Amino acid sequence: MAPSATTDVPAASGRNSPKPTPARIWSVSDPPFEGFKSVDQEGFARSNSETAIVIDSGSSAVRAGWSFDSKPRLSLPPLVARYKDRKLNRTFTFVGSDVYSDGTARGQSKNVYEPGSNIVNNWDCMEGVLDYCFIKLGVDGQQGSIGRPVVMTEPVANLGYSRKTMSEILFECYGAPSVAYGIDSLFSYSYNGGKHGLVVSSSYTSTHLIPVLNSKALLSQTTRLNWGRFQSAEYLLKLLRLKYPSFPGKVSDPQAEDLVREHCYVSQNYEDELSRYFEWTGLEDRNHIIQFPYTEPIVVQKTEEELAAAAEKRKEGGRRLQAQAAKMRLEKLKQKEEELEFCQQLQDQLQNIPKKEVKVLLESEDFDNEVQLEKRIRDLEKSIKKARNKDLGDVEEEVQEEPTFPLLDTPDEELDEEGIKQKRQQRLMKSNYEARQRAKIEKEKEKARLAEEQRLDDERREGDPEGWATDRKIARQAIIQKIKDRERMKAELGNRKSTANQMRMKQIANLASDAPKNKRKRGGGDDDTFGADDADWGVYRTIVTGEQSDDEEEEDLNKALKDIEGQLLRHDPTFTEESTREAQTDWTKSILHAFLHGPYPYDSESQRDMHQLHLNVERIRVPEVVFQPSIAGLDQAGIVEIASNILTERLAESPYRDDVLKDIFLTGGNTLFQGFEERLASELRAVLPVERELRVRRAGDAVLDAWRGAAQWAGRRENKTNFITKAEYMEKGSDYIKEHALGNASSF
Amino acid sequence: MAPLTTASDEHTHQALLSKLDIYAVPKPFRNPHYKAHGRRNKNLKQIVTEATRKEASVMATQNNSGVSTPLTEAGTPSANPVGRPPNIAQAAQSLSTLVLEKNSRAAAAANASGNGNAVGPAATYTNIESAPSFHPNSQRRYCDITGLNAPYTDPKTRLRYHDKEVFGLVRTMTQGVVEGHLAARGAHTVLK
Repeated sequence: MAPSATTDVPAASGRNSPKPTPARIWSVSDPPFEGFKSVDQEGFARSNSETAIVIDSGSSAVRAGWSFDSKPRLSLPPLVARYKDRKLNRTFTFVGSDVYSDGTARGQSKNVYEPGSNIVNNWDCMEGVLDYCFIKLGVDGQQGSIGRPVVMTEPVANLGYSRKTMSEILFECYGAPSVAYGIDSLFSYSYNGGKHGLVVSSSYTSTHLIPVLNSKALLSQTTRLNWGRFQSAEYLLKLLRLKYPSFPGKVSDPQAEDLVREHCYVSQNYEDELSRYFEWTGLEDRNHIIQFPYTEPIVVQKTEEELAAAAEKRKEGGRRLQAQAAKMRLEKLKQKEEELEFCQQLQDQLQNIPKKEVKVLLESEDFDNEVQLEKRIRDLEKSIKKARNKDLGDVEEEVQEEPTFPLLDTPDEELDEEGIKQKRQQRLMKSNYEARQRAKIEKEKEKARLAEEQRLDDERREGDPEGWATDRKIARQAIIQKIKDRERMKAELGNRKSTANQMRMKQIANLASDAPKNKRKRGGGDDDTFGADDADWGVYRTIVTGEQSDDEEEEDLNKALKDIEGQLLRHDPTFTEESTREAQTDWTKSILHAFLHGPYPYDSESQRDMHQLHLNVERIRVPEVVFQPSIAGLDQAGIVEIASNILTERLAESPYRDDVLKDIFLTGGNTLFQGFEERLASELRAVLPVERELRVRRAGDAVLDAWRGAAQWAGRRENKTNFITKAEYMEKGSDYIKEHALGNASSF
Repeated sequence: MAPLTTASDEHTHQALLSKLDIYAVPKPFRNPHYKAHGRRNKNLKQIVTEATRKEASVMATQNNSGVSTPLTEAGTPSANPVGRPPNIAQAAQSLSTLVLEKNSRAAAAANASGNGNAVGPAATYTNIESAPSFHPNSQRRYCDITGLNAPYTDPKTRLRYHDKEVFGLVRTMTQGVVEGHLAARGAHTVLK
């Protein structure tokens, strides 16, 4: 397999560091409304009935002007919006970029051409465009006619119906005295002084290769590839939709065209460049960020002062509470001290009075006997001491003495009622105490067991390091598998029809049903042992899909994984920092991350990041289609294959072949990609005989030279005979055509 | 009729629209009596179908139908009279094209002194389309997701992929997404 098919080999320096914020971020804009164009009277005033109106009716733009002009006076997108405003009860017609001036107009605008082709399919719109051209050129028609000849461009091998309808409109609606048609790319070639050559015209909706011998196009050898800028933009849009399926913004068609124009370039060596496209070094230059408008969610930012004030307020509250508590404690302490004093006085009193009165006195103070009084005094002393210590801040460790339970050994018969009560209490206390002791021992045992395990593990590691490492790795793999399973499960639950989801529904139904689960086992009686095994509770994990459900478990797994990896890192020399899962799932190593987000971290919460498009591979993938149409599913040969076929086979016997090789001529907006010329030259060089001289050149102005060529052609006196006059039209029918060197042949 | 820019209000916008509108502008150059016939808007498919039918029927009289005035220029050298070899793929699309090519070549061989356009089959909108590629380069495979080279194909979804990381993504895709990626290279299933 290709070397690049293996996963990225980690760089020697370890992880890649994220690139700093890019220096340049691109944005998109809507096609601008170009403002009102005033009527240009000057041209019409200079013209006479011989001066032709030249119209290059392209599918990306219609350009119009006079045959004596050096450049077209008008250039407009072939869009027409005609609608009736019900509120104003008025019909509007907007043409060209004027449709961008208003929301409704924009929504109502229709293209003159069938989308993706150079064939007119809306003739009402075509009339609108022609109306607009003639108005803006200041044509002052007399008796319902433009009174000037028209030169129009048309596609190579234009369909008879299209030409017929166009002639019909020009002659019958506009009353043109004469009309001539020609092919745009041939006009461009003749304008650039070509005689023998191969015209490679890649324009808006198609790419044509036309061999020209002795200034005469060889139409029968012409080949068309159904790919142009329109298809490129459409393809880019498709790719972007697949790349960012949940992109919140919307990329419009004109914006996609802008993206193609601005960011795409032809790769000189596609395979090679592709394999190195996501290399970390220089990725920031290859990756272009397109930022769409977004609104940052408003986070209320508190000022430093406000924060300080709030903290102060909180502290104040705390202090007040503390003070209150201290006051209460003090009051209690005082109370206790008073009580102690009183009790002590009472005790003193008791020594001096006879026994009989003692009892009365004690009873009046709610004490049963002297012992109780003593106990009370002891308790009070203890608690006062404790409280004082607490106030002073030092807590004295209470000495835990082993409690004794003297009464337990005396049999019940020797005890009175009070004694039995106390004995019962002591028994309770004893069992409590014993349980605590048992737990303590258990804990120590567990500690010892762990230590022993650790010791055994260490021993094993020292004795059999490889086996130990293998075991650890297996355990690690198991955890990773578990994590992956969980991730997959989560992904599958997103799909309503997935098996995982169906299992979940089944489980919920089972849990909810009251009927015994296993009817066959009915003889066993009530055998609900749910919960006996801890894993039973896992069933809830499988049915809860909310966010909180798996955090805990995931953390457990991650912790276990970290533990194992830590051990492996410490003791296994073959297990390095690179092999940890964290390093392997590091986004800087991920091709998909580089593809989607370039060399920058991605925060799925950030509105800014969400509204970004990253163009990287697309920059060479989209223009590459002209060379390899199969990329976009177009079942046609690429331009190099067509050109080499024409040059080496179809023209093989032509005496002009070497002249043709010296002039491979590029025209049309889709050839403006950076590197187009060089790529075509180098690829053609590879298929042509080595001794043949090859030259590739581009039109001086790949976009406007077609119009200029047409104007130049129209201005030449000798071409007057190539115009179809109105009389000829009337006599010979609407699909009559005069063939000339730069035009189509009749195709019926 | 909301204004597109914030700079304009309802009133100025209305004025702008009235200025731009060419419906009300007088068009003296139009023939006031011209009326377009009803169903002149046809889509490409319709036009091409009609053209092919016509081609087949007018075939015999191609060279002197009077529907065109051929370019007559003395000294125009004859171009390669051989013409193209018949193109099987296109012929399969329209048998008539093949017949046309063959007949035209026979006619061309008969008057080899004719000029460039008369030689060989007439170029029509459909028969100048480039044929499918036979070059081995067209067999190159690229990853349907990232566009990188793709040595592997997932048998389940038929998606081509670059490496195991991309494969991980492929396996999480739903049917609709998979079809979308296949459609980008024209390999999706089309239900008829």
